Amino acid sequence: MIPLELYILLASTMFTIGLYGLFTQKNGVKLMMCIELLLNSANINLVAFSAYQPNVNGQVFALFSIALAAAEAGVGFAILIALYRLYGTIDLDNINAMRW
Amino acid sequence: MEFSHYAPLWGEALLTILAVLVVLLGSLMKNSGKLMGYLSAAGLVAALALVASNLTIKPTLFFFDTISVDALSQFFKVVFLVVSLLVVIASMSKYTGKGADEYFALLLFATVGMMVVSSSVDIITLFVGFELASLSTYALAAFDRSRKNLEAAMKYFIFGSVASAFMLFGFSLLYGMAGSTHLVDIAAASLANFGPATLVALLFVIVGFGFKMALVPFHMWAPDTYEGAPPLVSALLAAGSKKMGFVAAFRVILIALVALRMEWYMAFAILAALTMTLGNLAACWQNNVRRILAYSSIAQAGYIAIAFVVVGAAYGAMPVNVLNMGPIRADQLGIAGALLLILGHALMKTGAFIGTALVSSNVSKESETDPDDISNYAGLAKRAPITAFCMLIFMFALAGIPPTAGYIGKFVLFSSAIYSGLVWLAVLAILNSALSLVYYLRIISYMYLKEAAGPKIKEQKGYVVALVLTLLAVVWIGVFPEAFINWAMQAAAVLLPQ
Repeated sequence: MIPLELYILLASTMFTIGLYGLFTQKNGVKLMMCIELLLNSANINLVAFSAYQPNVNGQVFALFSIALAAAEAGVGFAILIALYRLYGTIDLDNINAMRW
Repeated sequence: MEFSHYAPLWGEALLTILAVLVVLLGSLMKNSGKLMGYLSAAGLVAALALVASNLTIKPTLFFFDTISVDALSQFFKVVFLVVSLLVVIASMSKYTGKGADEYFALLLFATVGMMVVSSSVDIITLFVGFELASLSTYALAAFDRSRKNLEAAMKYFIFGSVASAFMLFGFSLLYGMAGSTHLVDIAAASLANFGPATLVALLFVIVGFGFKMALVPFHMWAPDTYEGAPPLVSALLAAGSKKMGFVAAFRVILIALVALRMEWYMAFAILAALTMTLGNLAACWQNNVRRILAYSSIAQAGYIAIAFVVVGAAYGAMPVNVLNMGPIRADQLGIAGALLLILGHALMKTGAFIGTALVSSNVSKESETDPDDISNYAGLAKRAPITAFCMLIFMFALAGIPPTAGYIGKFVLFSSAIYSGLVWLAVLAILNSALSLVYYLRIISYMYLKEAAGPKIKEQKGYVVALVLTLLAVVWIGVFPEAFINWAMQAAAVLLPQ
């Protein structure tokens, strides 16, 4: 059996990559992908922990969170499409009229 | 199990069914007119009555111990329902006919999500409720599809999703540590085997909730979102969805992570001090009234976060004699103060944002200036006397001047900080309250002392009804606080060991 530490290492690496992407990327779609990475790293954690526990709560939680992530992506892309129609770009650096 | 067993949850059930019904009716009818607004308002009133009939219920568990109906959840449900009701009443004249069904359905779903969060004693239900409320409000923030709306919604969406992801990652670690998703099991496990994983989980959870509560340094999205979203949606965000972050943080941090009391005590002491100081300082430089209100609500979040510090400092301390109310525990008093401030702030902020909605809806579309610019408020006392008077009272209440709801909350909270030995924090908070007068008085002086900047404003009925109701509530709590203090004390007791 693969040791639990490796799963946690994988999840933490994914989370870090997602977070790094959020700070460096400007493209709206890439940001959505980074958010998916963050959410899915937590799912890996949940499923891995669940495999080492006597109960399956973690897997149930992961199912819920996958469904919610899909809904979240739906809302996010809807906003992004509306944004593209109005601004003609999804480069979020150009969409920054409000600051400070 | 009979049907009546679930009576304490009928409010949520009613609103869920109503939200689905509103969408269905909206797609079937050609022109629904004001029907959707009236339906939603009636549903919210009915739900409020259902929740109020179980106001100080003994903690009761439902659905395999994942949902708890207790005094705390009822307190927050009343706050959320009142805020949504006021927003719905104010929205009635703006959102009619096509599109109104979506608006009101999203609003109802957001309310249900917040209610679920306030009842959750399990991290799965907590997360699902949190996301239900968040997803609905992301869509609401973009509702009018103007350039500013979409920018606000995008920023809110990105920060909100990152917050959810942090929260979920923290929850996954909590589950790994405890092997259970119930908050009480997590509390027991973290007391038994305290380890670095719990500490990392705490960090992630604080960051996740910090974004939602808009604590500095996780506040960047709040001013932009509150400025750019439709004004009535800003009211819901500042007064409702932000308070949802607080109830979730109360449950998870004060109950499940009580073993790490010293750690979160330090973290929240720093966060609270930073949040109130930076929020108030930043508000002084703004010219956009909704941005001022946004920074003021960040500052208020800083005050509310004092409750965590008080609980950390005075957890399980001996009762002291307080305010001729007999012996009272300082930690309980701190949470009660935070709850009173949450109730007061929710009302004042809803009222203030509804006021800005009324003013900005009367600025002509051709005008080059920002519709929320403070110059549009010049001479408001003559142009829109009712709105100006209500705004005046809300500004005083936000600054914490008696006899208003804002004063009661601050008084109880700051005195609990002193009773638990946190004099420096109480002094900082009081200095901050004084500083906040600078920008509140600036708005008031524009409204009452400047020459009128335009013609008389027609005050629409919906807005006026909502404003006057809010005004009455704010003053009522300020003049007769005893019942509310007792209620908040009962709600606070849920979070603490007896």
